[in-house]
Amino acid sequence: MSKNGADSRLLEELEKKSIAIIREANAQFKNPAVLWSTGKDSTATIWLCKKAFFGRIPFPVIHIDTGSKFREIYNFRDQLAKEWNLNLMIAKNSEAIRRGISPEKDRFECCTELKTKALKSLLEKEKFDALILAIRRDEHGIRAKERYYSPRDDNFQWNYKDQPAEMWDLYVKPSEDFSHMRIHPILHWTELNVWQYVKQERLPVNPLYFAKSGKRYRSLGCEPCTVPISSNASTVDEIVQELEKSKSPERAGRAQDKEKAYMMQKLRSLGYM
Amino acid sequence: MRLGKINLVIIGHKDHGKSTLVGRLLHDSKAVLAQKMREVEAEVKKTGDEGFRFAFLLDTLEEERKGALTIDIMHTPFKTKKNLYTIIDCPGHREFIKKMFTGASQADAAVLVVSAEEGIRDQTKQHAFLIRTLGIQQFIVALNKIDAVEYDETRFVEIRDQLVPILKSLEYENSPIVPVSALTGENVFQKQKRMQWYKGLSLVETLDAVVKPSAPPVDKPLRGCVQDIYEINGERIIICKILTGILTEGKIIRFDPLGEKGRVRKIQVFGKGIDRAGPGDSVGLSVDGIRGVERGEVISYPRRRASVVESFVAEIILLSDITMEKGDVLAIRCGTAEKKCEVRRILEKIDAINLTVDAKFPDSLKGGDVGKLLLSPIEQMSIERFSEFPELGRFVVEGKKGTVAAGIVLEIQPIDKN
Repeated sequence: MSKNGADSRLLEELEKKSIAIIREANAQFKNPAVLWSTGKDSTATIWLCKKAFFGRIPFPVIHIDTGSKFREIYNFRDQLAKEWNLNLMIAKNSEAIRRGISPEKDRFECCTELKTKALKSLLEKEKFDALILAIRRDEHGIRAKERYYSPRDDNFQWNYKDQPAEMWDLYVKPSEDFSHMRIHPILHWTELNVWQYVKQERLPVNPLYFAKSGKRYRSLGCEPCTVPISSNASTVDEIVQELEKSKSPERAGRAQDKEKAYMMQKLRSLGYM
Repeated sequence: MRLGKINLVIIGHKDHGKSTLVGRLLHDSKAVLAQKMREVEAEVKKTGDEGFRFAFLLDTLEEERKGALTIDIMHTPFKTKKNLYTIIDCPGHREFIKKMFTGASQADAAVLVVSAEEGIRDQTKQHAFLIRTLGIQQFIVALNKIDAVEYDETRFVEIRDQLVPILKSLEYENSPIVPVSALTGENVFQKQKRMQWYKGLSLVETLDAVVKPSAPPVDKPLRGCVQDIYEINGERIIICKILTGILTEGKIIRFDPLGEKGRVRKIQVFGKGIDRAGPGDSVGLSVDGIRGVERGEVISYPRRRASVVESFVAEIILLSDITMEKGDVLAIRCGTAEKKCEVRRILEKIDAINLTVDAKFPDSLKGGDVGKLLLSPIEQMSIERFSEFPELGRFVVEGKKGTVAAGIVLEIQPIDKN
């Protein structure tokens, strides 16, 4: 089998499993929603949702706006939301932004206030009982501990020490004990898989991923805390090729990952993505 | 050539070196990026414990690194010339049986790690038994820490001879037993230099030789389960996940336990029409001639139809702190269905450590126990033998706070129904 043939067979397998997980979540939960950062992973995930439901996503798409996202993210978001007819909801902690919370003072507090708390408020207001997120195991050690279905308790926290059993594909059921369930349909995909899928499906890509003056973003966060990498890849094909040879991890340019040991772990246990 | 994909679970008693072995496999196969290795080495220098260097690759939780104890599972892949192995490391501590099960339930093959220093301990036997109960047939033993016993052949033979009858009682009599040192790397990837007496293959060579990826069950009779019903442009679409066999457009299928029959007019996958669907496919069906179906129904062809049962015998593992008694009504999830079943009788309590029948017809089972039950559905239920249709022959029992037990169907007593 040619390499392309093998790749497309692999993507098909990955896709099938993800779609089954998304459909299962929709069947089991009364009020789900999907998170979208406009990055490649979450764009691929909402595309999977469109496929799962034959064109129209029957639940809201949430964008967490910290006020410090790149301009390109806002543009991309608004355009694609219109094109794909998404029911877009914005989660924003305006009060904290007004107070002047910023990463210069304390990155942990900033992520918590502007992202985690913003999400938490929207969840409580809209009473979502399940959130679909585009995280993957290979992104970060702590995300690798995640399950396809992962509950959050009443305090929005992740009890990673005592996760419920997840046997086969009989995923955790909704329960009053949980504030909501996190659903991770692309947990088993790698960074390369996502780009190969983007290429195969011809998905729209945020221009920040493409090189300008020898630099591009491999992972998209907020502007103050995201560092570009040296690269000349300016198309999806070039990105795929670059990745196939890459020796450094995807989130190397993300400050909260480096901050202190276990910061991601602490953030995530408090309800971060 | 396409690499076989294999999910591998590593089991064994606490501190026999599971995490170190996994770390070694990842390191030597260059599955771990150099930067990651440097980060881990920096962390390890702080704690000062060189020995745990490899284990730290997997132990990313703060608690794990400080306590040198793997709390939860993680999926980490490594490649050989033949296969892509996704390792599901498993915690060995007694409290973590529930977590071990989550990992093991995804595995195609298991590697049991036994310390040559300590020898066979309780969880060595218990884990092997539990893996067997989950139906995993491909099994290899890694006799680890062979460096700690000076690569001594006598010690290897001593433990091997103790292992053989245990493996035989679990129907793992052909399982290879491979001496290794995860710490020094001896015989993990590379053949031995310090064990001239050992004439077999290294651990990885053994894996490549012995373990086969699971093939999709296209030749089995058709089975699928209804996940949901969508209304798209005024048309009712039945969302179904195919588990075994091939579903072909135009054929007549049945829905059980309801008993409805209809013709498959159209099969859609993600918006495009196709004429057939196979194992793993989640499809949308337009079916003529049926009045109404629900989530949970099992589809099959009439000629080799799905079973609707009066009762069934299951081997069950209690994952939580619960008690199970005759007369209890359990909420059982199998496929996409959830049905209430009564415990007609507890047939056996099995001692998972000594691998014997502890008691016949005991009054109850409690948390951590393994037993055999006779169950009767209170509502109509379609379920199959695990040996024939694994996806429809395995189930979980739901308690107030999630899964409390997991089970495998050994025997079914079908209702004779048209």
